[in-house]
Amino acid sequence: MDRPSHLSVIVDLDPSRWTALNLPQFISNLLAFLNAHIAAKHENTLAVFGAFPAKSVMLYSSLDPVTDVPPSDANSYPPFKLVDSTVATRITRELELIADDDLEGWWFLSSQLVCPPISVVSAPVALVGALTKALCYINRLTIENNAATANSGDQSLEPVALPDPRILILSVSPDLTSSYIPVMNSIFSAQKLKVTIDACQISGSENVFLQQATHLTGGSYICAERQDALLQYLTMALLPPPSVRKTIAVPTQDKIDFRATCFCHKNIVDIGFVCSVCLSIFCQPVPVCSTCRTKFPIKTLQRLNSSRPPLLSSPSSASAPGRTPPPSSSARPSTTPRPPATPSTGGDQRQLPRSAVNGHAVGQ
Amino acid sequence: MPAPVRKEEEQKSDTPTHHALLPFLQVQSANALSRLYQSPSSCLSIFRLLAPVERQIVMNLLWLESAMTPSTLSAWVTPEGQSLYDESLVTLTKLHILHNYPAKLALNSTFKSSLRQALTGGGTSGSFGVPAERDEKRLPLDVEGLDSYALERWETILHFMVSSGTGQNPTRPSPGVLYLLQRSGLMGTHHGSLPQITSAGFQFLLHQSHAQLWNLLLQYLHMAEERQMDLVEVLSFLFMLSTMELGKEYSTEHLSQTQKAMLEDLRDYGLLWQRRPNSRRFSPTRLATTLTSSSPDLPSSTGASSSGFIVLETNYRVYAYTDNPLQTAILNLFVSLKYRFPNLVVGSITRDSVKKALNNGISADQASGMALSLGRTLTTRAVPVDHQLSDHPCSPTDAEELQDQVRLWELEKNRMKSQEGFLYTAFASQADYEFVLNYAKQLDVVLWENSQKRCFFGSLEGHANIRSFIERRSGGGG
Repeated sequence: MDRPSHLSVIVDLDPSRWTALNLPQFISNLLAFLNAHIAAKHENTLAVFGAFPAKSVMLYSSLDPVTDVPPSDANSYPPFKLVDSTVATRITRELELIADDDLEGWWFLSSQLVCPPISVVSAPVALVGALTKALCYINRLTIENNAATANSGDQSLEPVALPDPRILILSVSPDLTSSYIPVMNSIFSAQKLKVTIDACQISGSENVFLQQATHLTGGSYICAERQDALLQYLTMALLPPPSVRKTIAVPTQDKIDFRATCFCHKNIVDIGFVCSVCLSIFCQPVPVCSTCRTKFPIKTLQRLNSSRPPLLSSPSSASAPGRTPPPSSSARPSTTPRPPATPSTGGDQRQLPRSAVNGHAVGQ
Repeated sequence: MPAPVRKEEEQKSDTPTHHALLPFLQVQSANALSRLYQSPSSCLSIFRLLAPVERQIVMNLLWLESAMTPSTLSAWVTPEGQSLYDESLVTLTKLHILHNYPAKLALNSTFKSSLRQALTGGGTSGSFGVPAERDEKRLPLDVEGLDSYALERWETILHFMVSSGTGQNPTRPSPGVLYLLQRSGLMGTHHGSLPQITSAGFQFLLHQSHAQLWNLLLQYLHMAEERQMDLVEVLSFLFMLSTMELGKEYSTEHLSQTQKAMLEDLRDYGLLWQRRPNSRRFSPTRLATTLTSSSPDLPSSTGASSSGFIVLETNYRVYAYTDNPLQTAILNLFVSLKYRFPNLVVGSITRDSVKKALNNGISADQASGMALSLGRTLTTRAVPVDHQLSDHPCSPTDAEELQDQVRLWELEKNRMKSQEGFLYTAFASQADYEFVLNYAKQLDVVLWENSQKRCFFGSLEGHANIRSFIERRSGGGG
């Protein structure tokens, strides 16, 4: 099936992470990858989003009207040149802005791609923001696409989803536990839009949330073990559109870490305690659900506390990140929902379950 | 989009169809191809013409320095995709893109370096076209101007084909185009009369405009071979055009002699625009820049109403809401038109009108698909078509009914069937006759027999056997 496909790439550009890595080399690999996507088909569309500390920016969209055309030369294909120059200049500009803000003009910055030192950038990277923007963008494309094809007067045809929309996340950051709920919400929107999410962890440890995102949307997750082979990783595993993956398979996870984060301390938990009313997850038995204010009987609490594994039996307060147990390597969901505590008589049930998200996350 | 077209697309997706140009490239010599692969723009364009799986194989190998063992890549192939994958490798080998297969998996080194260069930019090949200096006095034609120019040229060709032999006198395309049309068998002349559309030409009209263009260009390439033009230069110029930017002017200075000669031909087809025939700059039109894309990006039809639809009643009356002369002319091929209004053409499909179309040399297959092609023809002209009854919503059965009727009319025409063969007669005795006849029946070559007259008629392919049988018999017996 030879149909055009859409690709939205989200690049994690946390300057503090990139100091240890070779950013210029990564950018040139990225550009070659983007060009390969456009090269495959004249009608392929592309959008690039950058996730910066506390900020997400759309770096390039192939549907945007071209404003500053790079001078054409005889040795390069104009669309490639446009992507390359737009993406590279915008990344440089954004990184300079960050550096300027944080350093108060203290560092001299050339027009080269530079990374400010670690200490200055502390805000978490806005990966979720970029993901949401990418989803909104695809949604807009789908609507426009439908509007364009709906004028045939034949209303019986169902709205045509955009062919093969994909999101590729190139991440360098570890899991940001506070963003668990927004990530899950994004995953469910992606499922609804029939968007495949692919992810590549370029450095650092495995990213649990991205693993879950790719698994739930049928995408591919890879962890680039060798920096110098990044382009080959990208090309082989993440370039083929879903239709080609039926013939040439791409690596998927056989082991997925399905753990969720608790709502109270945003820790990734092995054993969670789920509110029977709103399905919120807690790392320890709580007398009152913080989400829906349901009160649980003291007996249930005692029973739950006594049945916890001895290692974790002492409920500590805000637990340090180090306390999180190592990732379980079972494909089986490891968030074991305990038998739900019966809500106390007349437990406040006015509030509806918060969202389907929590239910799904636990029900895996 | 109407149902018939949708159906066709699904069929296409099941069997990967190759682009029309690839078979032509496959028969070229390895030497010619590797000269062609020296140009990054050609590599990029050929890459685009490949099927999706073939493209992925190329990309997988593109950035590798050393060859891969075939088993490494085939480990990635799913069991269902195995046959498709093997076919893809064969195609790539035939195109000489894969080198040394099946011993090793590696790209042709020329192709590899050129495609790399295309993706990363740089180099000094100049294969993407040298832009012309901006001339303030004579500004280039804008995109709309180029579109209408291309459309005018292209529709002139189609219109000429459609209205040939109908007594109308449409604008004649240039002699070069006329020659190409006749040379390619899309139009033929009978006894020195005006060229008439042939069966192949009718088939051509039913194609998507993109396929039509490639069809003509392929004929052009065949002709270029005969005219002793350097095929590599012709091809690389076409590919260069396909990677150029719409609305920009390019300089002719760096073109070779062959390519300069091509400018005139391509101008006639509407692929590029020049202010004056000997101008030193040219602008590619949308027809050229979308050569390697698969969708028909032809600018939509002329006139204000670029969209319209057809109402087909069960009494074979046709109401076509269009004001495009080309569409009207195509309809006129098999519909007898009754009234013509500014935006509406009314006609009916009758036995006579279909017979007229059949007499124009349209073959059986084309005729049986005519009812559907009626819709398809118009869709290719970017007109959303809706088959529907005048009073209740469309059902595909109407189209089928019509199709059956057309087929019946077509059968009427073919009451007589001719077949070449031999009449065996003057057998000495009834026994002789029956003996030979039985033998012929075993071979299944008897077309007609008459035992009273002791003769039968056998088809051409059985003759040698029957003859030797009779000879052996008479030889053995006598």
